[in-house]
Amino acid sequence: MARYLLLRLGDAIPTLFLVLTLVFIAMRILPGDPALAALGDGALPEQLADFRERMGLNVPLWQQYFNFLGGVLTLDFGRSLLTNTPVLQLIGQNLPYTIELTLAAMLMGIVAGIPLGVMAATNRNKAPDGGMRIFSLIGYAIPDFFLGAILLITFALNLGWFPINGAGSDFVSRLHHLFLPALTLAFVKAAFLGRLTRTSLLEVLGKDYVRTARAKGAKENRVIYKHGLRNAMLPISTGLGLSLLSTLSGSVAVELVFNRPGIGRLLIDAIAQRDYAVIQGGVLVFAGFVVLINLLMDLVYVVVDPRVRVK
Amino acid sequence: MSLNRRNFMELAAASTALTAFGLGAANAQDDDTIRIALAANHPRHSDPNQTTQGPDNWATEQMYEQLVRPDDGRFALTPEEYLPVLATEWTMSEDAKTWTFKLREGVQFHRGYGEMTSEDVVFTFLKAKDFGTGRVIFANVADAVANGPYEVAITLHQPDVNFLGTTVFSLNANIVSKKAYEEIAVEKFTTDAVGTGPYELVRYDAEGGVYLKRFEDYWGEKAKVGNVECLYIADTTARTLALVSGQVDMIEAVRAPGWIDSILQRDPNMLIDMTVPGSFNTLHVNLNRAPFDNLLVRQALMHAIDREVVAQALAPMGGMLVGLQPSFFPPGLKTEDLPEELQYPYDPEKSRALLAEAGFPDGVSFDALCSQREDYSSTMLIVQELIRPAGFNMNLIIGDHTAYHADNRSDKNTLAMHASSYPPIPTQIYIQQLYSKAEVKADGTGGGNYSHYGVTIPGVDDLLEQALSATDYDTYLDLCRQIELQVLRDLPLIGLSTLSYTIVRNPRLDLGYEVESGYARWRLHRATKA
Repeated sequence: MARYLLLRLGDAIPTLFLVLTLVFIAMRILPGDPALAALGDGALPEQLADFRERMGLNVPLWQQYFNFLGGVLTLDFGRSLLTNTPVLQLIGQNLPYTIELTLAAMLMGIVAGIPLGVMAATNRNKAPDGGMRIFSLIGYAIPDFFLGAILLITFALNLGWFPINGAGSDFVSRLHHLFLPALTLAFVKAAFLGRLTRTSLLEVLGKDYVRTARAKGAKENRVIYKHGLRNAMLPISTGLGLSLLSTLSGSVAVELVFNRPGIGRLLIDAIAQRDYAVIQGGVLVFAGFVVLINLLMDLVYVVVDPRVRVK
Repeated sequence: MSLNRRNFMELAAASTALTAFGLGAANAQDDDTIRIALAANHPRHSDPNQTTQGPDNWATEQMYEQLVRPDDGRFALTPEEYLPVLATEWTMSEDAKTWTFKLREGVQFHRGYGEMTSEDVVFTFLKAKDFGTGRVIFANVADAVANGPYEVAITLHQPDVNFLGTTVFSLNANIVSKKAYEEIAVEKFTTDAVGTGPYELVRYDAEGGVYLKRFEDYWGEKAKVGNVECLYIADTTARTLALVSGQVDMIEAVRAPGWIDSILQRDPNMLIDMTVPGSFNTLHVNLNRAPFDNLLVRQALMHAIDREVVAQALAPMGGMLVGLQPSFFPPGLKTEDLPEELQYPYDPEKSRALLAEAGFPDGVSFDALCSQREDYSSTMLIVQELIRPAGFNMNLIIGDHTAYHADNRSDKNTLAMHASSYPPIPTQIYIQQLYSKAEVKADGTGGGNYSHYGVTIPGVDDLLEQALSATDYDTYLDLCRQIELQVLRDLPLIGLSTLSYTIVRNPRLDLGYEVESGYARWRLHRATKA
């Protein structure tokens, strides 16, 4: 098991290195001058030259690249070109908001999606199943930013039940601010997980051992949850991993619509302003999460499916 | 864990309870707090000597003060219109190179940092000269010397009859506490402000905004509302919803045609505050690129642009430029006062005739880069349509704002729109956009003279240098008039329109004065909230 984990971690290193290199190159290819973005188009040549020198932007690209890689190895991601704040500090300030949004959305998505899927599978071709299929179609079709705007206008603006923007300060206020953005992301998750649960469960419920359980007189709840859902969990757990990744990326649009702090909003702002250090740090965090979630999913397989362990 | 119907219902009930909990709380209004939503994602600085992002100036405007300033809600159109703030009186030497300020006594810095004295003023000016965003402006300051605790003499390398406008009323000349700056240290002072203004800093939240409270030891009339919150909401929809829902009192508007109408349709009671003129929208004609190296083509272009229509399309935010300045700004040129050949009335027939005379009877086609930002793209799309009937087929390539500016600075554009706010000091636009020393360079090291004026063809350098060393204001104005006329003859730069900086305000907030003009920020100490 430990060897397996080490191997998977070893795979992650070249992936992260490649991501860092690609981001570094992409930002330098992208047209735009960070000095001009920081100081404004009215800046005089002397001011721009001084800024480039202070921020190390006037050294050759290869030197910038090695400075950057050296910094990453020592966990020094540099400073924001716009605010001079250490990038690690900016990430530390923003990451908790993105994590709480992602986890809340996942939780809401699981709590709604899996029971809906079970309900649809156990009522195949009846009204609940039809309702579930329509719900998942809508969920797949509606973009996060559009649904967010609709929820915002309905529940925050017209009904006044929720705040329009921000993330709140104390615990209760944070929950209050979190609800609508998390619901926006959870809607799609619920649709996806509901459909996946339905399909997986239907497949399992058709298996011989389920028929045997029923023939032995097992109660229907036991058949569905113990024999059916448990065995349907392998594809669902894969779906959960994919869903977690898409929730993380979906948080970018939702953070913007609800004006919440978070890594997504930080990244968008940094890209618009060509704040290289922040972009590199932010993308590394996202890449790190992708690697971590993939690793976790591998571990979940081992736990859920003993056959993986044997292989 | 297994979920049954009962579990599911319990979770649904919990969600409903959470929803109900929020009822009313979101719309709770605090009459002792002014909330303004600014069009950016995060604050960058609260040190006025380092601010590079316009919205940050809203907080610094409340926390800091200069020696002099114009009355609230307007620019000083002449040096006589400046009012005493931290200085009570001032004199200019005959050669306009020494300015002496008598300081107000008893002015206290925030958070117990003591009384403001000449030492703080000297420190502020010399710091701005050595470090910060205004070093180019402050380069003309030779020295600042304290004559006792309440008098400061500032000497200049070159005369400056407009010193109050060019330097003393600039952001970088906001007086900071020397003691606080040295104790807090430069890096932390960036987000930990100590000034003398009517509001003091409570909290600088890099994610949410800047939170201020009334400074109880303020030397003048104390602020009427106890707190100011400068919140950052870059997304236009979220910002608009925050205003409409009553969560904020003021928002920065979107400067695009029709936006004001749409918000007034939603709530006709909303109030609109605009600085006139706001941004100066100019069009650089690249003199190094055919066919615009031909004066006849530039004249044809000038006749093809109906500048009144451009201003009307941007109404109520749009305004007219006469030459490169609005008529009420110095040097006070009016269209009817211009020689007839320099008035360039809209005349597509004449435009086509001029193009034919220049050798282009079938018109001309060219590419022009444009920013996707609303104020740029809407203005340039209007221009594109206006000049088409005259034979100018402009292919607009609209792209990212940051890339657009970088391309302009690398001499990649043919017709480059530029939008910048200027105070009533005409030489500032000439220095930035017409001076040969600011000529754009292909390697990006040049300045904002995208037309190559003064290099490709003779420019206005001599007149500008004379204006900058004038020792009396009338001579300065006369030289500025000559520059305006010369630019209208050569047409390297076309004044398209002005575009007001605009705030939409909930009517329950009364600013205590009318906003007519000024920079893109205003003070809130006289405001009251119903």
